[in-house]
Amino acid sequence: MKNIERAKKVYNAIKVPEQISYVINKSLLKEKNKKKHIPKYIKYVVSTATCMFCAFIVMINVNPSFATNISEIPIIGNIAKVFTIKEYTEEDEEKLINAKIPALENTGNTELEKRINYEIMLKINEVLDEAEKRAAKYKEAVIETGGREEDYQPINIQVDYKVGYSNEKIVSFIILKSETLASAYTEMYYYNIDIENGKKLNLRDIFGNEYKEIVNEAIYKEIEKRSKNQNNIYFTEENGGFKGIENEYQNFYINQDGKVVIVFEKYEIAPGYMGIQEFIIDRQIL
Amino acid sequence: MQDVKEILIDYVKNNQEKLYRIAFSYSKNEESALDIVQEAITRALKNIDKLKEEKYVKTWFYKILINECLQYIKKNKRIITCELQEIEDKIEWNDDINIDDIELYKHIQNLNVKLRTVIILRFFEDMKIDEIARITKTNVNTVKSRLYKALKELNKLIKV
Repeated sequence: MKNIERAKKVYNAIKVPEQISYVINKSLLKEKNKKKHIPKYIKYVVSTATCMFCAFIVMINVNPSFATNISEIPIIGNIAKVFTIKEYTEEDEEKLINAKIPALENTGNTELEKRINYEIMLKINEVLDEAEKRAAKYKEAVIETGGREEDYQPINIQVDYKVGYSNEKIVSFIILKSETLASAYTEMYYYNIDIENGKKLNLRDIFGNEYKEIVNEAIYKEIEKRSKNQNNIYFTEENGGFKGIENEYQNFYINQDGKVVIVFEKYEIAPGYMGIQEFIIDRQIL
Repeated sequence: MQDVKEILIDYVKNNQEKLYRIAFSYSKNEESALDIVQEAITRALKNIDKLKEEKYVKTWFYKILINECLQYIKKNKRIITCELQEIEDKIEWNDDINIDDIELYKHIQNLNVKLRTVIILRFFEDMKIDEIARITKTNVNTVKSRLYKALKELNKLIKV
């Protein structure tokens, strides 16, 4: 009987997804916010397809992975928050789209919100358009090569987002688009926004003119460290591996500790099995 | 005096991970577990009038949550079995955990729902027999006999 305690260790080690606090807050908020109406910027939403519907506005908490912090998070306040503004689904024989489209609100800078939200909408529309075209083409190809229509498996397209960091001054979030056909592939779009100055942040803004040295040094060091494990393989410089970041617009986000995380897509600097490569630049910036 | 609703909200906020793990023990699937928790909260808030005494907040909420879990299993009809590999993927490893522990956990997860529920509540959630009886809408004797049966079954599979 005492041994059941051992299973309890396993039970308590079950990973809890980051979204839990978001989901719980959302359910608790639904009750509180029943009378709240939809914010006006919904009109900026440009629709490319017909069957759009508005699900609900939910709050994503400031720091998504922290159950313990949750009680401290003000539910209504002047803090910048990234909201899911709408959920969009579409299904036909060619594809299955499921998009959660984020928007910025409550930053106190409406001009900036409009601009960013509009940009996000355009980006998502563009991405979905492309995906739809790809799906149509793919289906055509299947049929042309003698496949039967009923054999065709719809492409699954998902759009979602993740908040890296958020406070009154800065929000950092990532829009993720994944398409599943034979294999899944995820594309990411990074948004790091300085709310006070109403602009997008790049690495130069954060680290100053020395940004390249700072970032490169940290990455080289980390690659070297990780390579000590023989399971970790990076491309060599000659073979298209990492040879320093090109410019200040390198993809990155800001994590919950307020540190910059440089991101390289799958295949960018290492073989596919290594997945997306992230490097935390260990400097407090916020 | 704080009203029961506030107490419930606090309880839910402070026990997010616990609630998720319970749901996950039934659904074995992250997304569904999140849905179950969400559904249970919505239901609890809707029926908050029925919760009279604050000392019952926890058992009352567990009852709703477990009920949602059972509904889920019913709706999905299939028997969800658990494989070692899956568990290994779903846990945060630490030095304290070895493969035998996971094996045992797997067997618990593969017990039938009634037996599994009493084990989870009794041993993982440290609840008292009478609390479990209230949550599972049975009586103390039933809980005891289920516990006994569950342990016997586990003993057959692995030395508990």
